[in-house]
Amino acid sequence: MNTRKSIKKLLLLIPVLLLLFNSCKHEDLEIVKENENFRLASDFIKNNYDMTLFYAAIEKAGMTAQLQGPGPFTVLVPNNLAFQQIGISRPSDFDKMNQDSLKSLVQRHILNYRLLTRDIPVNGVDIRYLTLAGDELYTSSSNFNPKGLANYQFDLYFNGAAVVKEDVNLANGTLHVLNKVMKYTPKSTVQDWLAKRPQYSVFVSGLKKFGLWDKLATAGPFTVFAPQNKVFEASNITEASITALNAKDYNGKRLFGGYVMDKKHFFISDFFVFRFINDETTFIRKVDNDDWLMIMNSASDFYTKLNTLDLNLRTPVDFYTNYNSIQASIPGLSDNLTDNGLVHDVQGLLLLPEQALINNSPNN
Amino acid sequence: MLVMPQSRLKNILLSSIILLLFAAGCSKVEYAKIDDPAYLRVFNNLNYTIGLENKDEAVPFLTMLIDPEMDKDGIPVKAAIKGDFLDQREPYAPPYPSHIGTGISFKNVEYPGKENVLAGPILNGFDLSSWAQIPSGKHRIVFMFRPVNSVPFFELDTKLKHSVLIDTTMVLDAKEVYTLHVLQKNFVTRKNGIYLRKENFHKLSLSDSLVYVNFYNMSAKGFLEASKDQKTSYKKSGALYGGIKDEMNIFYSLYTSEKTMRGPVYGYQNRLLGKLTRNSEVLEVSPYYNFPLFADGKSNGIFTNIWQRLDLMAPGMDPANNPYESFQLETNGNWAPVNLMTDGKSQLIGNDNAAQLPNMIVNIHSGVYNPRSFSTVNTIEIVNGNVYLTTVQRKYAPPIY
Repeated sequence: MNTRKSIKKLLLLIPVLLLLFNSCKHEDLEIVKENENFRLASDFIKNNYDMTLFYAAIEKAGMTAQLQGPGPFTVLVPNNLAFQQIGISRPSDFDKMNQDSLKSLVQRHILNYRLLTRDIPVNGVDIRYLTLAGDELYTSSSNFNPKGLANYQFDLYFNGAAVVKEDVNLANGTLHVLNKVMKYTPKSTVQDWLAKRPQYSVFVSGLKKFGLWDKLATAGPFTVFAPQNKVFEASNITEASITALNAKDYNGKRLFGGYVMDKKHFFISDFFVFRFINDETTFIRKVDNDDWLMIMNSASDFYTKLNTLDLNLRTPVDFYTNYNSIQASIPGLSDNLTDNGLVHDVQGLLLLPEQALINNSPNN
Repeated sequence: MLVMPQSRLKNILLSSIILLLFAAGCSKVEYAKIDDPAYLRVFNNLNYTIGLENKDEAVPFLTMLIDPEMDKDGIPVKAAIKGDFLDQREPYAPPYPSHIGTGISFKNVEYPGKENVLAGPILNGFDLSSWAQIPSGKHRIVFMFRPVNSVPFFELDTKLKHSVLIDTTMVLDAKEVYTLHVLQKNFVTRKNGIYLRKENFHKLSLSDSLVYVNFYNMSAKGFLEASKDQKTSYKKSGALYGGIKDEMNIFYSLYTSEKTMRGPVYGYQNRLLGKLTRNSEVLEVSPYYNFPLFADGKSNGIFTNIWQRLDLMAPGMDPANNPYESFQLETNGNWAPVNLMTDGKSQLIGNDNAAQLPNMIVNIHSGVYNPRSFSTVNTIEIVNGNVYLTTVQRKYAPPIY
């Protein structure tokens, strides 16, 4: 009889205990299993058929071991097409490059923190990110048009190179594939860059003749469109013929000044970014210190995302005249970044000397 | 084995369960309270857009920090009051707190806007719930440019917290109503600043049968003289996009026809209202001009559909003999019309060159009347090529359905 009573008392306690236990919160502990399919950075790049040239560069720079480390890394890999644009089509071509600059080229494409595309501000322009090489990248992202339709797109550029594949998961970070090699010449100015390259010598002599050369060593920033010698020679202009010109007879601000934009820091991709985020399909600006206008239109190839630019000069009057339209259409030769600006190769001449004579044209 | 009577055991169990229930149901609610508050509303009037031409300028997306604490490098680490994600202001600031509960975007078009802070009370009948309460006294106020993302300011990377717009102090008196504007002071040098205005509408004896409006021109120096390709972001303001001269006269006309000028209110056509002087430096409250709420003689005293048209004209000009055409956008700053009509989003039928704002008269269901017209106290501010309307209304009888 006593045990029955005590059992009854215990049974009475059970509902009370149940209430107490249900009010306790249990935290669910989920142990995340690491995905065994993700590989380390060096392994991933080595095994990828489109990144063989970048892997050769990593090897020659001696950085394979570092990229196998714990990281986290963000690797911006230019694909093989990008290297072919700058004249490298086999791993042995890297031997022709200065090995120090090869190492800094590779380091410039690696960030030692994980940067996913969702961490980059939407519609951001020239966001700076620090690389292993110690210099900073200019990152621009065009995502939506505040004035237009509510559609969202994704175009991301690092130093003018478009990201063609983003957010590839690696065991020690992430990877983005670029369609151009990011070219930066540290500790140099636009003037140094042009002076070191004999294929622009006619252009350099023209800048010197009309007093536009010295300012290219100052802080700027400058964006310079530079035609090569063969373009000048196609119109029978050589260094000798430029030296023979009488500088006072020609409007140098248009003839050679049209190629130089002062206080502007444009990658070719910037024109395409603003085309979307600000509806600026055409960029019209006055030539520095002159009243003529320069018209710039950009386009982007749908498949390769390579950007090209069309530019021409125009007279300022209502019934205007458009002069020769030239293009910056070789992606491997554009977006050459220096400390005080950029140089883009253009494949044409904005104006012939006859078109810039001061007394001839009614608009001068 | 303890022998307890059955009822005693039951009592103990019952009382312990009741005790448990009470213990679980108690919680302490703390109510925030500010003694001697001042009422503050902040607008970001930096209305330029970033394009290719000004690519390297700072995007006008701000954080307001009141009484911040800086670390040894001068980076703010904490602030007494933070107004984050402060975006460019919208053309209309309604008399009710319209941004509470709208959670589509992280951007806040005004402070307090969407922020969860103590709101202003009803002062002299005027509903100040769009103003925030902040402690009165001297405050250090800092505005920082910040990147356009949803990361709260103090969690941003250190290198993104360097860009200061202005770092100054302000003194707020208790129980006063303040509006703080972040402005561009000089269009050519891109110098920015703030403009703190102490409102006085709650202290004036304002009638319920008159609609009041005062005007400010807080445009930047050098805006009117700048070339028009720098003003492409103001295209929707009609003839106002290029700016107006430093001294203008304000004329008003009232119409009863919706979206056309075919139903003028006789006696209220092209009347001179007052003067508008460009001033973004000296703190002074403009006088309130007024017109009758039921100016239309045919109205029934409950509802009126009149809308207002303002003509800002250079001294010496008169809307009755206006040399410009009604569709002309280039007026050299001599003429800029503004239509205050319906919801501010529709234009007059025909190719009109006016800027659009909502009607100053608030028509809303109140009591048994649906709708009923109420008079309001308005402030119209012209900043560079845009015009903004802020409306304050007295509390009105709730609707009876």
